[in-house]
Amino acid sequence: MIPSPASLPSRDRFAALIRFLQGVLVAAVVLAGVGLFADAAAWAMVGLLIAAPLVRVAWLGVRWSSRGDRRYGVIAAAVLGVIAAAAALAVGT
Amino acid sequence: MDLHLALVGALAFVTAGAGALGGLGGAIILVPALVLLGVDPADAAPLGLLSVAAGSLAAAPTNLVEGVVHHRLGVTIEVAASAGAVAGALIAASLPVAIGVRVLAATALAAAIAGAVRRGVRNPPEAAFAAERSGEWPGTLAGAYTLGDRVVPYAARRVGAGLAVMGFTGVVAGATGVSGGFLKTPAMTEVMGIPVKVAAATTVFTVGVTSGAALIVYAGDGRLDVHAGAAVVLAALAGGRVGAWLQSVLSPVLVRRTLSVILVLVSVVLGVRG
Repeated sequence: MIPSPASLPSRDRFAALIRFLQGVLVAAVVLAGVGLFADAAAWAMVGLLIAAPLVRVAWLGVRWSSRGDRRYGVIAAAVLGVIAAAAALAVGT
Repeated sequence: MDLHLALVGALAFVTAGAGALGGLGGAIILVPALVLLGVDPADAAPLGLLSVAAGSLAAAPTNLVEGVVHHRLGVTIEVAASAGAVAGALIAASLPVAIGVRVLAATALAAAIAGAVRRGVRNPPEAAFAAERSGEWPGTLAGAYTLGDRVVPYAARRVGAGLAVMGFTGVVAGATGVSGGFLKTPAMTEVMGIPVKVAAATTVFTVGVTSGAALIVYAGDGRLDVHAGAAVVLAALAGGRVGAWLQSVLSPVLVRRTLSVILVLVSVVLGVRG
């Protein structure tokens, strides 16, 4: 097995993504609280919970592709394609 | 949905706490509990998926800091799992309630078995990798993680078989509203040879994507009670924190076995009712 090249600690490599996810979590909690009474806030909460992992996948796909790891960039895009197909089906039904 | 929001919230709090404590997740207990209280399985499923999505989001920053998530492995299996989840959600909409209840009963039984099975350490540390940092290796489905003061290298095996199992777990997740983590983690460890710690963290990442895929279908089908969903999300996040704290004072093995017994009972009751 060939060892990987030296790399930064995970918390440094993913610092921006960590901050983004922490912010989304806070927003989801606030929207859930308001969403107990207000439809718009509740739907916004649902949208945030669906979108957050997809943003993470997209962020990773762009990062991998920009660093020459095209195979996994394409696989990440394929995951987003499946989600897009789900959305198209949902709109269609 | 006829259940009072406070009752839905209380259920989500208790089940998320118990699920976090026992390592099975909360939805596998929440969804059957809602069905036993008279909620249609196709209405209970999206609430389970919301609790899964919230739990995945809550755990994400910690997992990223620890560097144990294998994102490349996660997106690879998610192609199959998300497609399965979409199919499962579409199937759930047309399933008769009785069959939906029986599918849920079988899922609860499978979770009970998964929770009761013991796992040993399969990937030993290797001194040659002592200088490696925890994380995945670019361009591969391999990586390393730290176990105490030692480094454990690993690489995914039998990827095709793993993808097939992930597709099935996606269908289960989409149709029943549970995360499927109790199937995904053993599939990664037993079929693909991934260390438990990495498999569990990668599962937490992937169930967020899987649940999102299925939620889109349920939302489009008009099956999502958003007020109940808000109560579930708030309560599940709080319950999950309490469950994680309780891990330090209670034996996770004892809790996991207790949960397995409860899930067997739930499975029997659902099976009889269905």
